[in-house]
Amino acid sequence: MASIELDASGTTQLLLGNEAIARGALEAGIGFAASYPGTPASEIMDTLASIAKRMGIHAEWSVNEKVALEAAAGASFAGIRAIASMKQNGINVASDFLINLTMTGIGKGLILVVADDPGAISSSNEQDSRNICKWMDIPLLEPSNAQEAKDMTKWAFELSEELDTICIIRSVNRVGHTRGNVKLGELPKREQRAYFPNIWNMFEPKLSKFAAGPFPWLHNMLHQKLAKAQQRFESAPFNWYMGPDKAELLIITSGASTACCTEAVKELKLDHKVGIFKLGTTWPIPENLVRKQLSSSQRVLFVEEVDPFIERSVMELAANLPTDSTRLIFYGKRSGHIPSSGELHPDVIINIIAGLMGITYQARDITYEKKAKELSMIIPGRALNLCPGCPHRATFWAVKNALQLDGRDGFVCGDIGCYSLGFAAGGYYQLRTMHAMGSGIGVANGLGNLSKFGFEQPVIAMVGDSTFLHAAIPALINGVYNKSSFILLILDNNATAMTGFQPHPGTGMTATGVPTFHIDIEALCRSLGAHVEVCDPFDLKNTTTTLLRLMAEEGGAKVVIMRRECEMVRAKREKRFPYVVHVDPDICIGEACGCNRVCTRAFQCPGLIYDQEARKATIDEAVCTGCGLCVDICPHGAIIKKVVET
Amino acid sequence: MEVKGCRELFEEVINAGLCTYCGACASGCPYLVSYKGRIVLLDNCDISKGQCYQYCPRTHTDLDTISQQVFGADYSEDGLGTVKEVLIARSTDLHIRERAQYGGVVTTLMSLALEEGFIDSAILAKMSSDKIPSAFLARNKEGILQCAGSNYMACSTLDALNRIAKDSKDKLGIVAMPCQVLSISKMKEDPPLNRMNIGNVSLVIGLFCTWALCRDTFQRFLRENVDLMQVIKFDIPPPPANKFDVYSNSGKISLPLDTIREFIMPTCSYCLDMTAEFADISVGSVEGIEGWNTVLIRTDVGVGLMERAKAKKKLEIGQLPSQNLAHLKEAALLKKKRALKEITKKTGDKKKLLYLGMSESIVDRLLVERSKV
Repeated sequence: MASIELDASGTTQLLLGNEAIARGALEAGIGFAASYPGTPASEIMDTLASIAKRMGIHAEWSVNEKVALEAAAGASFAGIRAIASMKQNGINVASDFLINLTMTGIGKGLILVVADDPGAISSSNEQDSRNICKWMDIPLLEPSNAQEAKDMTKWAFELSEELDTICIIRSVNRVGHTRGNVKLGELPKREQRAYFPNIWNMFEPKLSKFAAGPFPWLHNMLHQKLAKAQQRFESAPFNWYMGPDKAELLIITSGASTACCTEAVKELKLDHKVGIFKLGTTWPIPENLVRKQLSSSQRVLFVEEVDPFIERSVMELAANLPTDSTRLIFYGKRSGHIPSSGELHPDVIINIIAGLMGITYQARDITYEKKAKELSMIIPGRALNLCPGCPHRATFWAVKNALQLDGRDGFVCGDIGCYSLGFAAGGYYQLRTMHAMGSGIGVANGLGNLSKFGFEQPVIAMVGDSTFLHAAIPALINGVYNKSSFILLILDNNATAMTGFQPHPGTGMTATGVPTFHIDIEALCRSLGAHVEVCDPFDLKNTTTTLLRLMAEEGGAKVVIMRRECEMVRAKREKRFPYVVHVDPDICIGEACGCNRVCTRAFQCPGLIYDQEARKATIDEAVCTGCGLCVDICPHGAIIKKVVET
Repeated sequence: MEVKGCRELFEEVINAGLCTYCGACASGCPYLVSYKGRIVLLDNCDISKGQCYQYCPRTHTDLDTISQQVFGADYSEDGLGTVKEVLIARSTDLHIRERAQYGGVVTTLMSLALEEGFIDSAILAKMSSDKIPSAFLARNKEGILQCAGSNYMACSTLDALNRIAKDSKDKLGIVAMPCQVLSISKMKEDPPLNRMNIGNVSLVIGLFCTWALCRDTFQRFLRENVDLMQVIKFDIPPPPANKFDVYSNSGKISLPLDTIREFIMPTCSYCLDMTAEFADISVGSVEGIEGWNTVLIRTDVGVGLMERAKAKKKLEIGQLPSQNLAHLKEAALLKKKRALKEITKKTGDKKKLLYLGMSESIVDRLLVERSKV
């Protein structure tokens, strides 16, 4: 894999879209980068952090996205180019700061990269963050491939400084997670010195540039910046047209859909009839350029994922075209031609274009499709599940049992992390609410304060260690302060596991691998006035009885820290299994009454498989991590563990 | 009988208010457990024919089949079931009598069975210091003695039976309520798989029962009225006292029996069995003769044990006055009639008797005899 610190201008390297963004930032001479992990944005910071020391920049995993953006802004104020990156949910967390930041403007170039997740592949929603730019008057760029991701990032820094405002680069899954050839540019070699321009005169005090106040003229200034951005966008290198001078159909597209459209037109051999107008600067839209392009065709198809963002901007523009203009026909989400949700694939776009052009299209002959479907049947089905050896599985098992035993219809308010899988079979459907980072305990705050309405159900909130630090602390304070009754389970696996094991303030390590102060979650919760206990989730019995006891006790905000390291982290470090586990087939009774495959059917660790022929459980040695928890699940003692000799 | 799965166990028994909390369905698998007076399902089990359903005393039970299994004869419609001998007895051991509810016969017989090697251990209900009953596996006389005394609360004793290792060779004695005796009989009739060997149950002592109290709600009620840690004994003196006595270190508190009745398990109104008709020996109180037990000896095992008790002078034996016997039968028949009435009221059909597999002629006779009482 190519390193983004390669000082080899003019050479071509194969880079991941997110690496390309990081490279673009380096070429722009950033000195500061901050982020909070979240798919599909994580690799931007992963990459920057890995080279930060050598490149002399500051790179940090911030506690949350708002702090990340604020920290980056701080650097910008002091004259250091800075970048903040986050996933679509993160920009909402940062939004309160963001809107005020647009009022004050910046110091040196400041870029926010937001990585959207069309299709919600790794998210709980598929928010189209481009709308925030319209809402907050922020110039917006959308890369369509790795090369553009790098170039745009660099370009955006210049623009940001020219306009004195933050600019947003909106990436998506298929851009950030796709590798492509990137021709590298120069890495600047200059000393940077940070200084906050706190220049004021005791005799003539004046307001700071960096303080947003009740001044509507700041808003007006922002509109002027946006008008200037539009001018610059008219000639930006990221907008282009490909196709005949007069097209029977004009496709307007952006981002990841660009490649799909190009492929579709090529596949349909329609490049002499269909034109593709690709926009890289999508807010504000370059009106003159768009107007000019609209005159090349009467029929326009908008191909974009999630929201009809460009579609609406262009239609707005079309409404203001001179009255003698040719009447345009628009196809897109509004007309129902483009799906209103989910990712767009070439097949989808091919069929839409074929339909609009009145041609029939068959990708392959029918038998091929049939055979492909048959082949897909032999792929083993994999349910959404936690990893083998995952401590969360133990927690879910204990929680499920405790709630069933308690018998008062208690339930779990879930949160965002690996344990989000608890909404499905892998976590025994235990999560009954799940929204944003830290929302589980927030929702629990309300539920735990309904006793005056006869509410007696025990309320459990579940949050991971990283998510707890990110957004749950204010909710815990609220719970203690407002005397709500709930049990907060902090699943402390010592990692931000779901996004790739990034360190966080509870791990004692920074993004760049420097040992740092370790936030003691237990002491923190105690200091907030919550009753705190610590359990090892692998001690199923103790965990279950602890939960039962806490549910039975009088109310209040209680915290149980479920402490066990993420199995992946442990395995990576120790490079060995704690136990060798096997099933004694003479003892295993399989699906007979008295077990009914509790390990493979109910417990569902992927390390266990049910041998349909032998009618016994067995260990999948390729998958099992030797955690040994299933030994305690088997009712007949058929699963046996042996300590691995060192 | 049609054996179904645990979904049906919940539909037909537990959620229908028929569960006796006997414990027969619990701890025999990873899914069903008894906990604080409830049968709890920890996970979905999709087995279509489960032993949880099969051995439940409130799923279909053919009384003739059971009776054939235990006595080699069809079900006796006599109010007391098949009986070889009726007598009254009390322990000769003063220490036992002091601890026991009445005459200490159950404690004495179980201890003797252990002493004589009839059994290796015994399953009984034991009260905790705050008077919560739970199953207890006693391996010696002292353990059995700790279980002396009545608590009137349903206790899932049979889940202790299900917890015994399947390769255990220990012979077992068990002290059980009528519903539990019925379940054990169902197990003996068609032995469980992948559970303990039911053949090891060598002695079943049944207790007379008119009803049992719901453990959880009754406990809560008691806690509000008495300091349970101080309680020594509970007793319901014979009519017309109509009270529930709680003996504690600070004296006796009498609670109105009608208050207590509110905590009776709903299922008890559908129970026909007052005297644990399928036990080896059934034991209860004797009306009007304080400190003695009524003893019904039903099987050869029961006869043999009683012979030993007499020979070793463990029990003082007397005759149950004929008037008492008549009264006992009358009470037993009354329970049957009431239950049949309740059952038919619930089903709305004289031919649909919930769990009861009983010949129509017996049902008719039992219902007709109502007029005599």
